[in-house]
Amino acid sequence: MKRYLLRRLSYSLLSLVLLSLTIFLFVRLTGDPSVLLVEPGASQADLDAIRQQFGLDRPLWVQYGSFMSSLVRGDFGQSFYYRTPVLELYLSRLPNSLLLAVAAMGFSLLIGIPSGILAAVRVNRWWDSAGKIFALLGLSMPSFWVGLIMILFFSVYLGWLPSSGSGTPLHVVMPAVALGWYFAAAHMRLTRSSMLEVLGSEYVKLARLKGLPEALVIGKHAFKNALIPVLTLAGINLVIMVNVAVVVETVFAWPGVGRLLYEGIAFRDFPVVQATVLLGGAMIVVVNLVVDVLYAVIDPRIRYQ
Amino acid sequence: MSRAKVPLGLFVAMSLSVLGVAVPAGATGSEGQITWAVHTTLAPTWFDPAETPGMITPFMVFYALHDAVVKPMPGKSLAPSLAESWSASPDGLVYEFVLRKGATFHNGDPVTGEDVRFSFERYRGTSAKAFKERVAAVEVPDPGRVRFRLKRPWPDFLTFYSSATGAGWIVPKAYVEKVGDEGFKKAPVGAGPYRFVSFTPGVELVLEAFDHYWRKTPSVKRLVLKVIPDESTRLAALKRGEADIAYSIRGALAEELRRTPGLTLKPAVIQATFWLYFADQWDPKSPWHDKRVRLAANYAIDRKAINEAETLGFSKIPWSIIPSTFDFYWPPLAYPFDPARAKRLLAEAGYPSGFDAGEYFCDVAYANLAEAAANYLQGVGIRLKLRPLERAAFFKGFAEKKYRNIIQSSSGAFGNAATRLEAFVVSGGSYVYGSYPDLDGLFQEQASELDRKKREAILHRLQELIHDKVMFAPIWELAFLNGVGPRVEESGLALIAGHAYSAPYEDLRLKKP
Repeated sequence: MKRYLLRRLSYSLLSLVLLSLTIFLFVRLTGDPSVLLVEPGASQADLDAIRQQFGLDRPLWVQYGSFMSSLVRGDFGQSFYYRTPVLELYLSRLPNSLLLAVAAMGFSLLIGIPSGILAAVRVNRWWDSAGKIFALLGLSMPSFWVGLIMILFFSVYLGWLPSSGSGTPLHVVMPAVALGWYFAAAHMRLTRSSMLEVLGSEYVKLARLKGLPEALVIGKHAFKNALIPVLTLAGINLVIMVNVAVVVETVFAWPGVGRLLYEGIAFRDFPVVQATVLLGGAMIVVVNLVVDVLYAVIDPRIRYQ
Repeated sequence: MSRAKVPLGLFVAMSLSVLGVAVPAGATGSEGQITWAVHTTLAPTWFDPAETPGMITPFMVFYALHDAVVKPMPGKSLAPSLAESWSASPDGLVYEFVLRKGATFHNGDPVTGEDVRFSFERYRGTSAKAFKERVAAVEVPDPGRVRFRLKRPWPDFLTFYSSATGAGWIVPKAYVEKVGDEGFKKAPVGAGPYRFVSFTPGVELVLEAFDHYWRKTPSVKRLVLKVIPDESTRLAALKRGEADIAYSIRGALAEELRRTPGLTLKPAVIQATFWLYFADQWDPKSPWHDKRVRLAANYAIDRKAINEAETLGFSKIPWSIIPSTFDFYWPPLAYPFDPARAKRLLAEAGYPSGFDAGEYFCDVAYANLAEAAANYLQGVGIRLKLRPLERAAFFKGFAEKKYRNIIQSSSGAFGNAATRLEAFVVSGGSYVYGSYPDLDGLFQEQASELDRKKREAILHRLQELIHDKVMFAPIWELAFLNGVGPRVEESGLALIAGHAYSAPYEDLRLKKP
C-alpha cells in the first residue's frame, strides 16, 4: 500500500510540474502583455519599462526558474493588472466560486437524480422521452445563452431576481441554474443508465419476487446502489464547476475564480492565469488522488496491479 | 464593437424588443446614490496615481478620489485645481505653481507643496522616464508654492504633468509614509470630491461625498461603481434600475437602449482616433506609392454611413489622426464619399480595373470597422484580404514593422498633436514605417519652440503637409456609448472633452423626487 501511495503521489507531482511548464509556455505564446496595459501609441520607453517591471525582458528559462522557485515557497507572484499577490486574489475569489459550485451542484442533483430515476423506471415511455429531451437540451445549450435568457425573463421582464452581482441568496439563483443546467443533464443520463443496470440485476429481481412494494425496491435496493457512480461523478464535477464557470461568472458578474481567469486572459496577466490554472489543476489532481487511494483501500486488487 | 459579440447582442436586443420591455416604474436605488455598471474590472492600482498606466480607465477613479495640481475640466484642457495659478519662465526652464489655500485631504491634512513634490517623486507610471530625464529638481520655497526646474525646455511639460500622466495627481505624503504603498492601495486617501468607503475586488467600489472639497460639496452622497463585464447584463441592470449609468453599450444593444422609454443614450466622443495607414507608400514598386491611389482610397470610404451603422452616428470625423480635442489640432478638409472620383483617380494611376491590394491588418476588436472600410475599398476596385489579429499580437506586429499594404491603426493615448505625431508620423516613432524629411524637420523645429503661437503654426503646417501627402485615410474619433437611467439629471458624461467617463463627479446630480 505504501509503495502504491508513493507511486500515485509522484505521478501527481509530475502532473503538476508538467502543467506548470505547459501553462507557463502557453500564456507566453499568446503575446506581450505590455501592449495591453497602455493605450495604442504609447512610447517604446513605456513599453520597455513595463516589460522590465514584470521581468518579461529576461530569457524564458530564467523566468521559469524564478517562477518555480517562488512557487515552492508558496508565492504565485504579483498580478500585472491588480499589482497584488495572486494567491491573495485567488483566495478572495475562491469562496464565491465554492458557493456557486455547491449551489449549482445542489440544483443539478435535485433535477438530475429524480428525473434520471423516473426515466429509468418508466423506460421507453413518456417520462423517458422527456428526460432524453431534457438531457439533449442541457448538454447542447451553452451556459451563457441560458444565463442571458434567464436574465431577460426573471430579471428584466418579471423583475424577480437581480440581474447580476453577488451578496444575497437571490443573487446566486440564476448563475447556479445556468451553471448547473449542463451538469443536471449529465447527472440525469448517468442516473438513468446506472438505475437501468441495477434494475436488471439479480438481487432486484429477487426483491420483487419476495413481493416487496415497488417503491421499496426502487428506493432502497436499486437507488442506493445506482447512486455510487453518480456521487463519484458529482464529486469530480464539483471541482470542475469551481474551475470552469468562466462564462457564467462573466455573464452574471459573479466574482469567482472563473472570472479571475477571464480577466487574467483578457489582460495577459500571466501570473493570474498561471495561478488559477495551476491551483485548479492541483484541485483536480488531489481529488483524483484521493479517489484512487480510496479505491485502493476498498479494492486491494487495484494496488497490486 | 467586437464581431463576436454582435450576434449575441443583436439577439438580446431583439428579444427585449419582442417582449416590449421598458424601465419598470419606480425602479430606484437609494436616495442620494448613483450606481454605475462599469464595463471593466477595477484595479486597486487605480487608487494610487503613482502607478498610472498609459490608459484612460484609471482616471474614472482619480476624478473621484483624488485631485490634481492642474487637470482637464469642462471647457478647459488645463484648469487650475489644487493650484490656483501657475507661471512659466521665459526660457521655459521653470514652472511655478501657487497652491490653493484651504484644500485638504480626506483625513483633514492640508494639501502642501511637500505633498506635490512627494507625489511627483514617487511617480512611477507612464512617462516616468521622460520626467526623470527632463526634470532637474522640484523645489518647495514655501508650503503654498512648488517650482519645477527643467534640464532643458520642454514645451509639453504641462500637457504631460496635467493630463497625459498621473504625475500631477496629489497624495498625502504623511499618510502614504505612515501606511506604505500597499496600505495606501487598501485605504486610499486623496483630495478629491469623494472619499473611499470600500472596495471588493471584482465586485464594486463604494465612495462617499467629501463635504470639504474645495470646489463644491458634491450633491450626490454615495457613488457605487459595480463591475459588470457583460454588455447585455449591463443593459439589463440599467433597465431594472440596478444601475443608473451603464458604460459601453454598443451596436444593436445601443439601438435598443435608445428605444427604451426612460433611458437615455449618452455618447462621449473620446480621444481615440482610427485611421488607415498606407504602410507601403515609401515603396516605389507598390501601388500605394502613388498619391492618387491613396487619395482614391480616401474618396472610396463612406465614413458617415459607417458611423451611422456602428456607433449610431455619434462618432466624430476629424479627418485627421489627431483628436479634434487635442491642443494644436488642425482641421483638414474633408474627403467626401465619391466612388466615381476614386475610380477616376485609380484609372489615372494606371489601375482602371482596380488592383489586388494584399492584406488589410487590424485589431480583431475593431474588425467590424475594418470589414466596412474594406467593403468600400472593394467597391472601387481596391481588393483586400482582411487580416484581423488579436489585439496584443496586432500591436506587436505593427510596432515590429511586420505588416504591409494597409494597417487599420488607432490610438487613445493622451497628449497633444505633437505627442501623437511623434508616435505615428515622425521618423523613429514606435509605429512609423517610413517618414518624410520635411515633416521630420518641422517636428524637430516645434520641439524646441517655446512661443506657443509659433509652435502652433509649425504643428498646423505639419498636419497640413500630412494631409497633402495623403499619408493616412482617417476614419473617425470614436464615440463611447453609454446609457443613463431615469433618476439621473446630470451624468457627468461628455462634460470634459475627450474623457470617456462621468466627471467631474462633484457636478453630478439626481433628479428631484
